[in-house]
Amino acid sequence: MRTMSNLDYSSNESAILRKKIAKVLQYIVAIIVTIIIAFPIYWMLVSSVKSQEEILLTIPTLWPKEWHFENYVNVFKRANFGKYYINTIIMTAGILISEIMTGILAAYGFSIGKFKGQNILFLIILGALMIPIQVTFIPIYIMFADWGLTNTFLGLILPNTVSPYYIFMLRQTFLSVDNSYIEAARVDGMGRLGVIFKILVPMCKSTIVTITLVSFTSGWNSYFWPKIIAKDEPRVLTIGLAHLKNTFAGQATMNNHEIMAGAVMAVLPVIILFFIFQKYMLTGYSKAAMK
Amino acid sequence: MDADVIKQKNKRKKNHTYAISSAKDFTCVLPALVLLAVFTYYPIVEVIRISFTDWNLINDSYQYVGLKNWKWLFAGSGTKYLLNSLKVTALYSLGEIAITLGGGLLFALLFNRITKTFSVLRAVVFMPRYVAMSSAAVVFLWIFNKDNGILNYFLQTIGLNKVDWLGNKNVALISVLILTGWRAIGYGMMIYLSAMLSISKDYYEAAALDGANSSQRFWKITIPMLSPTTLFLLVTTFLSSMKVFQSVDILTGGGPYRSTEVIVYMIYKYAMQDFRMDRASTVAVMFFFILLVVTALTMKVSKKSVNYDS
Repeated sequence: MRTMSNLDYSSNESAILRKKIAKVLQYIVAIIVTIIIAFPIYWMLVSSVKSQEEILLTIPTLWPKEWHFENYVNVFKRANFGKYYINTIIMTAGILISEIMTGILAAYGFSIGKFKGQNILFLIILGALMIPIQVTFIPIYIMFADWGLTNTFLGLILPNTVSPYYIFMLRQTFLSVDNSYIEAARVDGMGRLGVIFKILVPMCKSTIVTITLVSFTSGWNSYFWPKIIAKDEPRVLTIGLAHLKNTFAGQATMNNHEIMAGAVMAVLPVIILFFIFQKYMLTGYSKAAMK
Repeated sequence: MDADVIKQKNKRKKNHTYAISSAKDFTCVLPALVLLAVFTYYPIVEVIRISFTDWNLINDSYQYVGLKNWKWLFAGSGTKYLLNSLKVTALYSLGEIAITLGGGLLFALLFNRITKTFSVLRAVVFMPRYVAMSSAAVVFLWIFNKDNGILNYFLQTIGLNKVDWLGNKNVALISVLILTGWRAIGYGMMIYLSAMLSISKDYYEAAALDGANSSQRFWKITIPMLSPTTLFLLVTTFLSSMKVFQSVDILTGGGPYRSTEVIVYMIYKYAMQDFRMDRASTVAVMFFFILLVVTALTMKVSKKSVNYDS
C-alpha cells in the first residue's frame, strides 16, 4: 500500500512539473505571437508622429525621437481629409438609415404580417444574397451614368439600401416575440407602425443594435462601389486614403508619416464605436457563428 | 333568415378587412422588394445581356454579337487571362481559408487559458479585425516597402536578403495574404474559442474515464464537435475570399505581371480601365456561375457531413 501511494505521489509530481513547464511555454509563445500581431498597429501609430527625416532613415527607429503631432493637422490641410470625413458620414448615414428601415419593415411583413405569396417573396429576398455587387456593378454603373448619378451621394447610397441578411436576422427575432404582446397592442387600437416601433423594436433592441453596428462599419469601410461610382467626388475616406500616395506628389515613401496619420484617423471612429459597444459586437459574432 | 344575413355581412366585412390588412402587410415588404428588383435582379439580367453585345463605353451604340465574347473568354485571347485569374483567386482562397481555419484553430488552442492576462492577449490578437482594410492596407504598404520598410530591415538584421514584397511576382500574392491573414486569424480564433467553450465537459470526462489521452480527446471529441463551426467558417471565408478586391487594389493593383489579378480585379480592369463592358460582363457572368456552383456544393456538403451536438 505504502509503495503504491509513494509511486502515485512521484508520478503526480512529475506530471505537475510537466504541466508547469507547458504553462510557462504557453505564456511565452502566446506573448511573442501577440507582439507580432500587434506590431503593425504599433508601427502605424509610431510612424504617424515621426518627422519626415526620421521616416526616411535607413535604420528605422522603434520609438520616435521627436513627436510631430502636426502630421495629423497636415493631413487635413493637404489632403482635404475633413471633406472626406463629411462625405463618409453622409454616405454611411444614408446606407444605415435605409438598410435599417427597409429591414425592419420587411421583417415585420415576413414575420407578423400575412399576405399571399409570402414565402416565395421571402425566398426572392434571400436569393439576392447570391448576387454580389462585384457581379452586377457594370449595369448599375451604366444605369447610374444615364441617370446622372455618378459622383453623387445618391449614387453611392442607392445600391446599398436593402440587406437581405438583416431582413433575415430581424425576421428571426420578430418571430421570437410572444404573439400576446402584439394582440394586446392591437386591441388597444395600435396600428402597424405602432406595433413595429413601440413593441417590436424595443423588445428586439440587441439585434437592432448589432445590425446597426454591422451596417455602420460595412458602410464606413466600403470600398469597391465608391471606387466605381465616386472615384473623384464625393470622395470617401477609404478611397481618399488609398489615394494619399498620389495626393502627395512624388514618392509615396516620402510622406508615409502623414499617410499613417491619415490611416489612424480613418479607423478611429470605428475603433471607438467597437469599444463602446463591445458587448453587442461579441454577441453579434457569436450569433453569426451559431448559424 | 336575419341571423344568416348578419353572418354573411360579417363574413364579407371580415374578408374585406383581411384584404386591407394583407395589402398593408404587403406594403411593408414592398420597399425592400422594389429596391432589390431594381438594384440586384434587373442588373443580373442586364449583365448577362451585355455579355452578348459589343458594348464599349467609348462608342455611342452597341450591337449584339452572339457568342463572340464567350469565344474570346473560353477559346480566344482572353482564355489565358481567365485561367490566370482563376488560378490566382483559387490560391488566394486556399491561403485565406488555411489561415482563418488552420491558424484560427491553432491560435484558439494557444490562447485558451481563462486568465486575465490571456483575455488581454486575445483582445490584442483580435484587434486587427477592427482596423479597416483601407487603413490596414496602407500600413502594410509601408511595412512591405522595399527600401524603407521595417520588414526588410528586420530581415537584414537577422542576416537575410531584402525581399521585394510587392514587386516580385512570386511573392506579391503571399504579401496580400499576409495582410488578409493578419486581419482574419484573430477572428477565426474567437469563433473557434467560443465554439470550444460550448462543448459539454461531460464528453471529456467520459473519455478520460475510458482512458483517452489528451491528443485522442482533441481529435475524437474537439475536432468533430467543432465541425459546424468549421463549416460555417469555411463557407463564409470561401465566399468572401472569392470576392477579394480592396487589398489587391491598394497593395499591388493586380500586378506585377498579373500575378495578383484575382477575378474581381479582372472584371474591374476590363470595365473601368478599358471600358470594355462586353468583356467585363462576360467575365462577371462567368464569376456569378462559379459562385452559384460553390454555394450549391457547400449546401450539399453541409447537409451530409456535419456533426451536430443535439
